[in-house]
Amino acid sequence: MSNPIVTCRGVTKVFGKGDLAVHALAGVDLDFAPGDFATLAGPSGSGKTTLLNMIGALDTPTAGEVSIAGNRLNDMNKSQLSDLRLTKIGFVFQSLNLIPVLSAVENVEFVLELQHCPAAEQRERAIKVLEQVGLKGMENRRPSAMSGGQQQRVAVARALVTKPAIVLADEPTANLDSKNSSDLMDLMAQLNADLGITFVIGTHDVSVMKRSRRHLEMLDGRISSDTRR
Amino acid sequence: MMKSLKTFTPLAWRNLWRNARRTSITLIVVSVGLWSVLFFNSFMNAWVQSSKDAALDLLLGSGQIHAVGYMDDPNIEALMPPPSAALTAALDDTRITDWTTRIALPGVVVSEYKTLPVTVMGVNPEAEARISSLPGKLVEGRYLDDTDDDGVVLGLHMVERLKTGIGRRVILMSQGIDGAMAERSFDVVGVFDADQATEDFFAFTGLKASQAFLGLDDQIAEIVVVLPDEADVDAEFTRLREAAPDLDARTWKELNLFLASTDSFMGAFIYIWLGVVFSLMAIGIVNTQLMAVFERTQEFGLLRALGMKPRLVLLLVTLESAMLIGAGVLIGAAISALTIWSLQGGIDLSAYALAVEMAQGGNIIYMEYDPGSFVLFSVLIWILGIGVALWPARRASKASPVEAMRYAS
Repeated sequence: MSNPIVTCRGVTKVFGKGDLAVHALAGVDLDFAPGDFATLAGPSGSGKTTLLNMIGALDTPTAGEVSIAGNRLNDMNKSQLSDLRLTKIGFVFQSLNLIPVLSAVENVEFVLELQHCPAAEQRERAIKVLEQVGLKGMENRRPSAMSGGQQQRVAVARALVTKPAIVLADEPTANLDSKNSSDLMDLMAQLNADLGITFVIGTHDVSVMKRSRRHLEMLDGRISSDTRR
Repeated sequence: MMKSLKTFTPLAWRNLWRNARRTSITLIVVSVGLWSVLFFNSFMNAWVQSSKDAALDLLLGSGQIHAVGYMDDPNIEALMPPPSAALTAALDDTRITDWTTRIALPGVVVSEYKTLPVTVMGVNPEAEARISSLPGKLVEGRYLDDTDDDGVVLGLHMVERLKTGIGRRVILMSQGIDGAMAERSFDVVGVFDADQATEDFFAFTGLKASQAFLGLDDQIAEIVVVLPDEADVDAEFTRLREAAPDLDARTWKELNLFLASTDSFMGAFIYIWLGVVFSLMAIGIVNTQLMAVFERTQEFGLLRALGMKPRLVLLLVTLESAMLIGAGVLIGAAISALTIWSLQGGIDLSAYALAVEMAQGGNIIYMEYDPGSFVLFSVLIWILGIGVALWPARRASKASPVEAMRYAS
C-alpha cells in the first residue's frame, strides 16, 4: 500500500468540560490511501461530521494525531491549517456551497486566486474543470440561476481545480433528488477513476454508500466497521 | 496586499448590492450626515464672515487706536492728538490698506419732538468712502462732502423716532473741551439704512465741523485701521503698538468680543456637530454591517474552510465598508456642493432682520464652496466610518468554519 493521504491515530475529540463533556471521537484509528473512494456513515451523534472536520483540517483533535498528506495537524497553527486546506483539501458541502455573487467560473477561480495563481491560468483551469463536471456553457451563470445539482457540480469543480490530495464531501446529495444525486455520484466516481483523487463522502444515503469502494460505519465516536469492496 | 485588493474589490462591490435596500439606507445615512456637516460648516463660515463683514466694514475696521482710557470712558478728556510721525509712517505702510481718524463722543440729538442719546461721529468723508460701507447705505439725501461739512447724517430709525427728515434741523449736544455742554444745530443732509443699532446710536458730521463744535483743535478720538488680510491682524497691531506705545491699539477681536467669540465658537461648533452626526452615523453603520455579517456567517465559514485566512476575511469586509461609506461620502459631498452652488446668490435672512441683527449677522449669507473643508470632513468621516466598521469585520474574520457550517445546517 502506498503512503496514506490521511492518517488518524487514536484521535479523540472532546467538546465541553467536566460533567458536560461530550466525547465526539473516542480514539479513531484510520487511514485513507490515494485513490480511495470511501463513504462514511453512522447515526446522528456518531462522530461522523467531527471526523470529517478533523480530516478536513477544519478542527484539531483533543488527543491523538491526524496527518494529511504528510502534514501533522497537531503542530499547525490556524494560518497553516488554512494553507493546508487551500492546497491539499477540496470540500463539497451539503448546501450553500457557493459564493452567491460570483458566477460558476468565478467561484472556481476564487480558490485559485487565493493560491495566487496567474489570472490567465485561473480562467483556463476553471473552464477546463467546469467542462469536466459537465457544465460547459454555464460558466457565467450565478448560483441562483442554477439547479441544486448544477450547483453541487460547481462545488465539485471548485474542489478539484486546486488538484487536492483529498476531496471531502459532507452529505453532498442531501438536498438533491434521486436523479441529480445519482448523476453527482457518477461524476465523483468518474473523477476518482480518471484522476485518482481520494474522495471521502459523509452520507446517510444508502444509494450513495452502495457506490463506494470502501464503506466505514461509525458508532459512539469509533469506527465500527470498515468494509472494502 | 495590493493583489488581494484587486481580487476582492469587485467581490466586495457585488456583496454590497446583495441587500440593495440596506445598502441604500446606509448610503443615505452617510451622505445626509456628511451633507449636514458640509452644509452647516459652509453656512456657519458664511454667517461668521457676514457678521465680520457687517461689523468690520461698517465702522469697526480691522482694529482701532485710541488714547489710553478712552475705551473705558469715552469722553472728551480721553482724546488724543493726531498720529505722530512714527505712527503715521507705520500706518502708511503698504501692509495696511487704509486708515482714517474720527471723533466719537457721547452726546444727545434733539428734534422738536424728542431727545435721544447718540454718539457724535466726526469723520473724514473721503476716507470713510474708502474704508466704510456706511456711505453706501444712504437711502435719502447725500453723504458728507468733506471734513468741514456741518450737515448731519442720521440713521433711518432715528429719523423716524425724531420725526425729522432731510432739510430739517436737529441739535447735537455733547460736553465741550471747556467742560461746558456744547450744542449746535445741524441740517439733516442724509439718511442711511443699516442695522438698527447703528441707525439708533450714531450721528455723522464732518471731522473738522465736529472738532469746531466741541471746541477742539485737531484732537481725535480714534484711528481706524483696515488691513488687506485678517490673518495678519495680530502681527500688524503688534507693530502699531510698537510705533505708538503710549496709545491703546486694539484689534477687532478685542474691540468686539461677541464677534470674536462667535468666530471661535463656530469653529468649535462644527466639530461638535461632526461628533453628533458621526455618532448617529456610526450606530447606523455598525448596525447594518453587523446584520450583514450575521446573515453571512455560513458564507464566511465557507471562505475559511476553503482556505481563506482570517486577515483576508477582515480585508474583504473592511473593503465592503470602505466602498459603502466611500460611496456615501461621494454622494454627500456632491449633494453638498450642489446645495452650496444653488445658493450662490446668497441666503436672504432679511425676514428675520431683527434676530439676525441681535446675533450681529448679515442679512444675506453668501455661502462658499471650500475645497479644503470638503476634503477634510469627507476624509474624516470616511476614515472614522471604516474605523467603526472594523468591529463587524473582526467578527466576520473570527468566524470558525466548523461553527459556521454547523450553524448553517
